[in-house]
Amino acid sequence: MQTALEKAIELIASGNAELINILNVTAIMTLSSSVLALLIGVPLGVFLGASRFPGRKALIVVNRTLMGMPPVVCGLIFYILFSGVGPFRAAHLLFTVKIMIIAQVVLITPIVAGTMEPYVEGICTTIKENTRGLGLGRGKSFFLLCNECVYQVFSSYLLGFSRSIAEVGCVAMVGGAISWKTNVMTTAIMEYTNKGSFSIGIALGLILLAIALLINILLSLIQRRASR
Amino acid sequence: MIIRGLTKTYNGRCVVELPSMELNDGRIYAIVGTNGSGKSTMVKLLAGIEKPDTGRKPLDLNIGYMPQQSYAFRMNVLKNIMLNGDDAERAMVLSEKMGLTALLGKSAKTLSGGELARMALCRLLMKDYDVLFLDEPTAAMDIEATAKSEALIKDYQEKTGCTVFIVSHSLQQAKRMSDEVIFLSEGRLAERCPTNRLDAPETDEFRRFLEFYGS
Repeated sequence: MQTALEKAIELIASGNAELINILNVTAIMTLSSSVLALLIGVPLGVFLGASRFPGRKALIVVNRTLMGMPPVVCGLIFYILFSGVGPFRAAHLLFTVKIMIIAQVVLITPIVAGTMEPYVEGICTTIKENTRGLGLGRGKSFFLLCNECVYQVFSSYLLGFSRSIAEVGCVAMVGGAISWKTNVMTTAIMEYTNKGSFSIGIALGLILLAIALLINILLSLIQRRASR
Repeated sequence: MIIRGLTKTYNGRCVVELPSMELNDGRIYAIVGTNGSGKSTMVKLLAGIEKPDTGRKPLDLNIGYMPQQSYAFRMNVLKNIMLNGDDAERAMVLSEKMGLTALLGKSAKTLSGGELARMALCRLLMKDYDVLFLDEPTAAMDIEATAKSEALIKDYQEKTGCTVFIVSHSLQQAKRMSDEVIFLSEGRLAERCPTNRLDAPETDEFRRFLEFYGS
């Protein structure tokens, strides 16, 4: 164990090429999917939280269900859709980083929307009453609502990001965990552990833990800032 | 000023049913009643914050409304006040009258309930309105702040000549502030009475209310 840990630290310090490649693929997939999920999920969450229309509650239930969708189920759906027998086979996206990003967006968007929606609903009525009471226009009222949501947007993004970076089932199914191509940190840890090569797995695990720690510190700072 | 009749129903239960009524411009009306009598809903409907089930928008005037739950936007106190107008001098005068001068640079999120209510009142009074609806504006304030608020509202009313409606649980405040008292019971307008005639209510319902709250 000690030798594997020493080797892991050495791999990180020396900038091992395979390790760098895995980190690179992980960064591309995680950042792309979380930003896209943010761009879709935030307006969706604000819309669900601030609007009143028939079917809204049903949509919220659907979104909450999707928040808990098992990643392997998402992976399975995308695998079927894009495999040789699926309707989108001509796109030739299976086992590419692109399909991993698309699948992750489907997984994370409900989380971003689902964390925005109750927050917006909680403040929206009071803000509406206050801004209408002052006779402020819709544009200014919407701007004020968005301004109140800034820290929640950061929190939702970080939640989406942490889900994306820690996800394994879905990306393994649609990406195939191909070395030097679609292998991300989580799938690589599984692969190297299965091979009995613990050092690179430990190195990746240490990096993942460091990222998780960083995200938690950022979330705490955001929560502290938001309360001021 | 004529208020068109209106009704509002929640979950099949009629919470407010007001007949059309004529009110005098430039007066202060206190709206009183027990909990759940429909006071807040009534002012929300009149102020156009909520839509009535029947009837059109009851008033086509320039209306200001201070809700029961005021909101502190994520900015400092001065910026919050100036959300409703860019007259810095007016903001300073109002802040001074409400004892907020020392808090102007502070984040509005850190204000106490009473300070928030004072800020919200200053923010509302940054503009001149034809009609003001104030839903328990002093409920969170101490005696000193309440006195300052009442003086400020009266001063504003005298200067602008607007009509003011104040929802209040305090009969003493209604007596101090208003020209006329509107008593609501179970969503209905049970009685209207000039403040100087509160010793001679017409209905038993209002008499019981006055005996209980006036003691």
